Amino acid sequence: MSHVVIDLKASVKSFARNKSTIFWTIAFPSVLILLFGAIFSYSSVKYDLYLQNQDLVDGKPTYWSSSLVDVLNSSGVFNLQTLNSTINATDYAISNRLSSLLIIPSGFNDSANMALLTHTQSLENVTFVYDQSTSSAPIVGSIVKSIIGSINFQLSRGVNYLNVQDLMIAPKRYGYIDFFLPGMIGVTAMTTSIFTSVSISAQFKQNGVFHKLATTPLKRYEWILSRTVYNVLITFLGMAVMIVLGVAVFGMKMTIDAISLFMVTMASLMFTGLGMIIARFVKDPDGADAAANVITFPMMFLSGTFFPLSQMPLFLQSIARVLPLTYVSDGLRASMIFGQAQTAVFNTGIVSVLGFVCIVIGSWITKWEED
Amino acid sequence: MLNLTSDKAIRVEGLTKRYGDLIAVNGISFTVDRGEIFAFLGPNGAGKTTTVEMLECLRKPTSGKAFVLGLDIAKDQMAIKKKAGVLPQDFYTYERLTVKETIQYYGGMFDSHPDVDGLLKLVDLEDKKNVLFKHLSGGLKQRLGIAVALVNDPELIFLDEPSAGLDPKARHGVWHMIEGLHKEGKTIFLTTHYMEEAEILAGRVGIIHNGNIVAMDSPQGLISEYGKRNLLILKNTNLTAVPNIEKLGIKANYDQTTGDVTVHLNHSVAVSDVLHSLSTSGIPFGELQLKRSSLEDVFLNLTGESLGEEEDTL
Repeated sequence: MSHVVIDLKASVKSFARNKSTIFWTIAFPSVLILLFGAIFSYSSVKYDLYLQNQDLVDGKPTYWSSSLVDVLNSSGVFNLQTLNSTINATDYAISNRLSSLLIIPSGFNDSANMALLTHTQSLENVTFVYDQSTSSAPIVGSIVKSIIGSINFQLSRGVNYLNVQDLMIAPKRYGYIDFFLPGMIGVTAMTTSIFTSVSISAQFKQNGVFHKLATTPLKRYEWILSRTVYNVLITFLGMAVMIVLGVAVFGMKMTIDAISLFMVTMASLMFTGLGMIIARFVKDPDGADAAANVITFPMMFLSGTFFPLSQMPLFLQSIARVLPLTYVSDGLRASMIFGQAQTAVFNTGIVSVLGFVCIVIGSWITKWEED
Repeated sequence: MLNLTSDKAIRVEGLTKRYGDLIAVNGISFTVDRGEIFAFLGPNGAGKTTTVEMLECLRKPTSGKAFVLGLDIAKDQMAIKKKAGVLPQDFYTYERLTVKETIQYYGGMFDSHPDVDGLLKLVDLEDKKNVLFKHLSGGLKQRLGIAVALVNDPELIFLDEPSAGLDPKARHGVWHMIEGLHKEGKTIFLTTHYMEEAEILAGRVGIIHNGNIVAMDSPQGLISEYGKRNLLILKNTNLTAVPNIEKLGIKANYDQTTGDVTVHLNHSVAVSDVLHSLSTSGIPFGELQLKRSSLEDVFLNLTGESLGEEEDTL
């Protein structure tokens, strides 16, 4: 056991003296958390809508035209951008590749008043100019039409016979960051454990450290145990940085309980073992990085780290079901965010079993010397 | 049985290592006495390192037996590792540990508490003790490797190519250290492809070629048995020198293109006898050159190949 402690101390000292490793261990998850958190958490969905109001009297919008603009504004769905009333707005939209533009024609106010008095259709209508190749234009168009429809309904004194009642099913309101952060902890456990295991093994094989270690009483399993504990410690460091950012920057609320800590430990164990298995088949440090990338990259994107599995095509979902990172992410989300104890225990159980299988195979096939 | 094996530091009987069809080590047998420096001399790929690594319990022999400090390499691997010191070829370790931490690390692996300052002094690294391993030059790395090989106070030390790739000054430093260890009574098993290293350090040399030991004796014994005679070359002389010298009972050749006479000396005729004979007969000669026979000649005679160390001769 003392050999494990001695080797672990050496590894931790080496880590503490390697500025670039420290930087990447902290910077990689931090940058991703800040970047993805900022992109998806703060941009509640709003659509750009350009507006030209030609219905002015003495340079001021008429009653009906300004009322319409107010209703559009208060819907909260649009970023309204007003165009000068004298330009040719359609040409402007074409040359500036605008996706949605609403033109209120001159005489709109008078025409609306006349229509109300005579109970006939207004002669001057608003025009919705849009680029049908963009995905947002049809949505913007239908929202604008439904807003005008409800104005018509109120003006004609209609009765709301049918209504829709809202019912929120999630107990709290979760943002993207709540989904993303536990997944990122899983990714950190994976990249830290696989990359360090594979590259250390390849380096030690190439530069002869294994050769020297093999001449000492240090046993292979003691060395692997030391590397595993090291990977767990480094993952905890990355996890701590992410949690601090999540709480401080995004005001997240999460639970760090025994099951989530145990899950992170088991994930490190599993990925260390997986790293050892990969390392057995690579010859030099360059090949080691390439091999580690081949394994970690698809897993990062297919295991529901960046977006939920349910948004992926079915065949990708079935691939995700056999990737171990999926269970790590699901389990951490269940324990840290959603408080679903049963799901957390189930996923942790799967990862623990896989972890022991990987580390046993990894230890068994790791060789310090070619016989 | 134990007494038979334990009186020798190393006893090897018919040791063989095959890799498929390739025979790296071909049924070799030899012994190493306690307290001696024994050198395995041979070119790269001769089977030196494979043999040493079998004795260090890093590789399993295909057949044959070996006992290290009386312990069987097939059964007592852990005991052998604890008792022997090893300097591997191109020693390398954790890059970001200091010299002192490295010695402590390996001391810990042997569950021993080495005299760190004493070891640092022995390998002359006292002023480098807080330098990281990766900042050491090749010679200093190798010296640290020797210190590390001593952390368990071993009776027997394996040094695999201890001075390969070092500059002459660093190489002499390493030799000096090996001699110091020998004086302390350590048994040293050395492998090298530098004939000078073997000649200077070793009490006995085994010449290994294609997995076989082709000769084994003291360096002087090998030279007198397998080396050429020493040669005396006389420049700017003439043809009459040849019969004059041959009267002394030794051979001489005249080279027509260079005008040199080569004299094959033996034990009964000294250089002074040749020069005296020439000067009394009034035969002129210019420059003199004496060519001493070395282990290089021994190796050439035994194998028909050179050791191939031209690019890094001293």
